Amino acid sequence: MSTPLLELRNLSKSYQGRPVLANLSWTFRAGEFVAIMGDSGVGKSTLLNLIAGLDAPDAASTSSIIIDGVPMAGLDDDAATRLRRSRMGFIFQAFHVLPHLTLLQNVALPLLLNGLPVARAAEMLDAVGLGGRGDDFPHQLSGGEMQRVAIARALVHRPALVLADEPTGNLDPDTAHGILKLLHREIKSTGACAIMVTHSHIAAEMTDKILQLSKCGIQETTIVKPFEQ
Amino acid sequence: MHDTRHMPKPPARDWTIIAVMLLLAALVVASFASLPLKWRDFFTLDAINSAAELLAGFAPPETATPFLVKTAWATLETMSMSALGTLLAVVAGLALALPASGRLGQAPRAAVRALLNVLRSIPELVWASILLIAAGLGPFGGTLALAAHTAGVLGRLFADSLENAPPGPEATLRTNGASAAAAFLYATLPQTLPQMLSYTLYRWENNIRAAAILGVVGAGGLGQMLKYHLSLFQMQQAATVIIAMLVLVALVDAISYALRRALTR
Repeated sequence: MSTPLLELRNLSKSYQGRPVLANLSWTFRAGEFVAIMGDSGVGKSTLLNLIAGLDAPDAASTSSIIIDGVPMAGLDDDAATRLRRSRMGFIFQAFHVLPHLTLLQNVALPLLLNGLPVARAAEMLDAVGLGGRGDDFPHQLSGGEMQRVAIARALVHRPALVLADEPTGNLDPDTAHGILKLLHREIKSTGACAIMVTHSHIAAEMTDKILQLSKCGIQETTIVKPFEQ
Repeated sequence: MHDTRHMPKPPARDWTIIAVMLLLAALVVASFASLPLKWRDFFTLDAINSAAELLAGFAPPETATPFLVKTAWATLETMSMSALGTLLAVVAGLALALPASGRLGQAPRAAVRALLNVLRSIPELVWASILLIAAGLGPFGGTLALAAHTAGVLGRLFADSLENAPPGPEATLRTNGASAAAAFLYATLPQTLPQMLSYTLYRWENNIRAAAILGVVGAGGLGQMLKYHLSLFQMQQAATVIIAMLVLVALVDAISYALRRALTR
């Protein structure tokens, strides 16, 4: 069994006294591609924000998030920013590709921010099937192509942890299938751990493990298609 | 015929708009009534003859080489005043736009926006009158006057551009671990730059016209020449200066328009 990459211990988060996550514990391992499913408002995006250090767990709780042996609670804002920059990659539903930069510049951004050589940006564009289009701008792309750029950008600096929030939410089923295959292949080739929040059963089926988040906590599940319920 | 029984009720009429329009109409009528406008005197045969005589005095414009050279230098001075005034305003406007866009908190935003309001509510001519006392006659005071007023305008426009820029790209970079400065420089600034350049070019167009007028209060350039020759009733020389003004304004308008079109395409 591979080593633990991300450990959540007794994670709790409330907003204005209303608990969203309560005593959540789970261990994610390197090389895993995990889907997190659950009803709207159950705290899936909150969980991603907590893992990314963009939000903090309840101060009064004994919550802890440990990434690669480093407790997030001990990090100040700058240190959390550096950790996100070097160890994490993000994929969003709305792509958030920078419109004024070329595809190559978009993919090279994490390398620039980390002070790494930018040559790998072109390799990543090749890997996601957009080789030779590095000088194009995002407005020349379809939604699926834009998400390919976002995946290349999320993985180009070889992050240990990839967080994806509904990455196929804006795509048609065929394009979504292609994107998930690509994401799966790239994650397996880099050995990263990927956590994907999704509402789509089809998307979740393409991962290694499906976790169901509910008010009762988090547990591993298998797909139950809506018509089988 | 349509069955209107199930139609939703029409929206309630907004009497505020009608009241405002009536008020505006009353203000226009009151303005005409309160001013001693002597339209009848303006269109008398005597008035028309006097105007024609005055206009005839402008022809032909002065074309002696020494005067044309002097006019060319004054044209250059007017253009330099407007360009330098605009450039200073861009620097000041950008520096003020950052706090005015709320990036440093709500209190600095309100304070700097109030300062920008003051800067731009004072017209260039009034700024020139104040600054000419401090900086002396000549183009320096005029340049500062243009910079002060334009900094107020551009600061506000730049701040609005920064506030209205889509937050997604900057948030994405912050999420990906970029520092606040890097996220601003890579995401928000490049998104707003074409609009800011467009505003700057438009204000430069305005400043060319303003620089020509500022000369009248002693700020140098074509305006000062125009005032000098008109006050001595040297209409032919004045005509040459007016033609130089028209050519300069038309030229800058055309260049600025072409550049703005290219930037916002």
